[in-house]
Amino acid sequence: MRRARSAIRGRPRLPARLSSRRARIIALLGLLGPGLIAANAGNDAGGIATYSSAGAKYGYSVLWIMVLITVSLAIVQKLAARMGVVTGKGLAELIREEYGIRWSVLATTAVLIANLGICISDFVGIGAAVGLTGVPVQVSVPLAALAIWLIIVRGSYRSAEKTFIWFTIPFFAYPIAAILAHPHWSTVGTQIVQPHIMSSSPYVLLVVALAGTTITPYMQLYLQSAVVERGVREDELPHEEREAVLGAVFANVIASFIIIATAATLYTHGIHSISSAAEAARALKPFAGRYAEVLFGVGLLGASLLAAAILPIATSYVVSESLGYEKGVGRRRQEAPVFVNIITGMILISAFVAMIPNVPVISLLVGVQVVNGLLLPINLFFIWRLSRSADVMGERRSSPFLDGAAGITVLVTSALSIVLVLVTLLAL
Amino acid sequence: MNAPAAQAPPILHLSSVVGSPLRDSDGERLGKAEDVIVRLGGAGYPPITGFLVTVAGRTSYVGADRVSDIGPDGVVLRKAKLDLRHFERRAEEVLLKRDVLDRQLINVKGARLVRANEIELALLGGAWRVVGVDTGPRGGLRRLLPKALGAHIATGEFLDWASVEPFVGHVPTVRLRIPHPQLAKLHPAQIADLVEAASRREGEEIIQAVGDDDRELEADVFEELDDHHQREFLEDRPDAQVAEIVSRMAPDDAADVIGELDEDRRETVLALLPVSHRVKVRALLGYDPAEAGGLMSPDFVLLTSATVVGDALDAVRRSDVAAELLTAVFASAPDGSLEGWIPVTALLRADPAQRLEALVKHEIPTLRPDASFEEVARLMADYNLTSVPVLDEDERMVGVITVDDVLEAMLPRGWRRRFGLLGED
Repeated sequence: MRRARSAIRGRPRLPARLSSRRARIIALLGLLGPGLIAANAGNDAGGIATYSSAGAKYGYSVLWIMVLITVSLAIVQKLAARMGVVTGKGLAELIREEYGIRWSVLATTAVLIANLGICISDFVGIGAAVGLTGVPVQVSVPLAALAIWLIIVRGSYRSAEKTFIWFTIPFFAYPIAAILAHPHWSTVGTQIVQPHIMSSSPYVLLVVALAGTTITPYMQLYLQSAVVERGVREDELPHEEREAVLGAVFANVIASFIIIATAATLYTHGIHSISSAAEAARALKPFAGRYAEVLFGVGLLGASLLAAAILPIATSYVVSESLGYEKGVGRRRQEAPVFVNIITGMILISAFVAMIPNVPVISLLVGVQVVNGLLLPINLFFIWRLSRSADVMGERRSSPFLDGAAGITVLVTSALSIVLVLVTLLAL
Repeated sequence: MNAPAAQAPPILHLSSVVGSPLRDSDGERLGKAEDVIVRLGGAGYPPITGFLVTVAGRTSYVGADRVSDIGPDGVVLRKAKLDLRHFERRAEEVLLKRDVLDRQLINVKGARLVRANEIELALLGGAWRVVGVDTGPRGGLRRLLPKALGAHIATGEFLDWASVEPFVGHVPTVRLRIPHPQLAKLHPAQIADLVEAASRREGEEIIQAVGDDDRELEADVFEELDDHHQREFLEDRPDAQVAEIVSRMAPDDAADVIGELDEDRRETVLALLPVSHRVKVRALLGYDPAEAGGLMSPDFVLLTSATVVGDALDAVRRSDVAAELLTAVFASAPDGSLEGWIPVTALLRADPAQRLEALVKHEIPTLRPDASFEEVARLMADYNLTSVPVLDEDERMVGVITVDDVLEAMLPRGWRRRFGLLGED
């Protein structure tokens, strides 16, 4: 036998099977995905500013509202995930197919405007968070923009999703900051379960703003499209729904810790007016120590990075779906030109605007609030109607109980949203 | 992408018909046209069979035979009298606005999914028919603008209906009963790409349509699907159907598919396979899918080196290995161990009476079933091989790895899907 024996023996083999313990942990992590990412992107720069100012102004007494908002968000996110799994289509695509091109273009235009505004505010947030260490925005923002662009356009959906899950780790800074702030835990406990209604108009307005910043249209749009892109199968529906609900709960627990941290320090020391996330971080320092400032800064950075990455994707999904273009995270420009160009364009514009010194972030956010406030009822209404439609969902359409809960959520949230728009417009 | 013919009849946009007034023969306005009904399934361009109209707030049906003309000015009835009937869907009928417009279609020519932004109608052979769709932005823009402005927008990217297959799975009465004959013209890999790009329900429709006319093609499509979609579409099929599809696949692909099934289903499906197939598949299932054993196919031509060339060519003729993969026959020594190989071309050139031992090439690299994927790929690249034999501990040949298996696994993530293959034009 003169066969040339190829050098094939003695090489390390691929690990054949994972040990069951490791496999279990990986399965658990595998559960984390679009639901967690979508809901937590809501704890971005604008969100932190709202939660901080709620905590500073009214202390623990707003905590019970967060419980109601959590339930609403969980229902809405669950429905979006459900529709993604069952239909295999994004929300914008379903709106187009069931309600026609005019509705879908209206929603798309609103998404484009609102999301661009939020995206700018998140790049401002990145600059502010890094700015706490003295690094100028002209350095931090372009670097962040480049990194985000590379993750979205050069990676794959899976790798991008993994990175986004890592971005949620900094959120744990808030519970730690809250603990450092030495809150009165028994008061926290009672205020969570005890409704506390004040009829003063600033209080009502803040409640409305809390709901508006926690339940944002892009969360459902991103979630549904990402579930589709992830290719979740119908037998995995219970997992995906659980993930969406858990993501919503986690996001709001974090938000509540932001309220607790600021309530324990700023509220008790009489600092009631907070207008940005970075300001909240600086204001914490004298009461909760230097670390609280650092932790708030870290949280702000993680949250802003996450949202600054999610917003271009969500926007691009919506535009591509409603106009019928190729889409997909990780697609190259030749494959999905419109999808990639929208992402690139949004990142470029947002980063550029965020680098302008003294950008009027507050008035920008006010404008965003109005567009989002108009978009949210439209969005929620479609989610509600589509998820109960037998034509779209078949046997998986909402049960009477879920449908009723969704109906109430949609009506109440939409009403709050419209109140917010009216108040904002009147204040201008 | 031009208009269908040089002296093409004028094209009427669906959006200008829907919403236009319903008039009697005197031009009196009676109501509004809501939707256009066409019959699919026949050969040629689908004819309009009727209209859905609202008259005094009630929705009713007007048959196409009662209509004398349609156009931007409205749907004009033949008679002065209106005869309203209740609309009931007949088999193969779809509503153009409700069921086709704004939804996905298969562009068979480019093997990709497109969205119908506008549907184009024309008077052909005495009847109004659907002649194509507009997939470009112009069709969408026309419908966005107010009617008076939109009417000035010319037809954009016209796609002839002859190269389009609509999805009808969401249409209540037509479900699954419309064949998609044009799909059979596509390569299984292209069909698989369409299935992967479509939503689940649409993907199911494609596979059903393909399977209805050609079981063999259905199995080929399954071979080309990625693991995730294989699993998705096999999950809720009965075991017997899965076995039927799997039995039409090459053993190595069959093993991959069975490996994707839930553990408790594997044995039942295996038991339903033909015996010879089952033995091969079961043997392959014993190997790690990431190693040579999991990549190889147990189908190859192995003959003793005393065989004459004429008999060897006969064996090649009888073999059911795909022609493009059967590039060499293998020769074994009397003790059963592998001696070497002979390219099929060399057999053809040789004298039929010659024995294989005179032709056999001894210097060939081989692999063990537990060789890692990297080793397989590196070996085939280094030696410029299109196939490489896999031997067990006793030097007996148990399988062959062909270049297609390796190439598929080596494609970078993201390349497998659509890139190049489905790019338009």
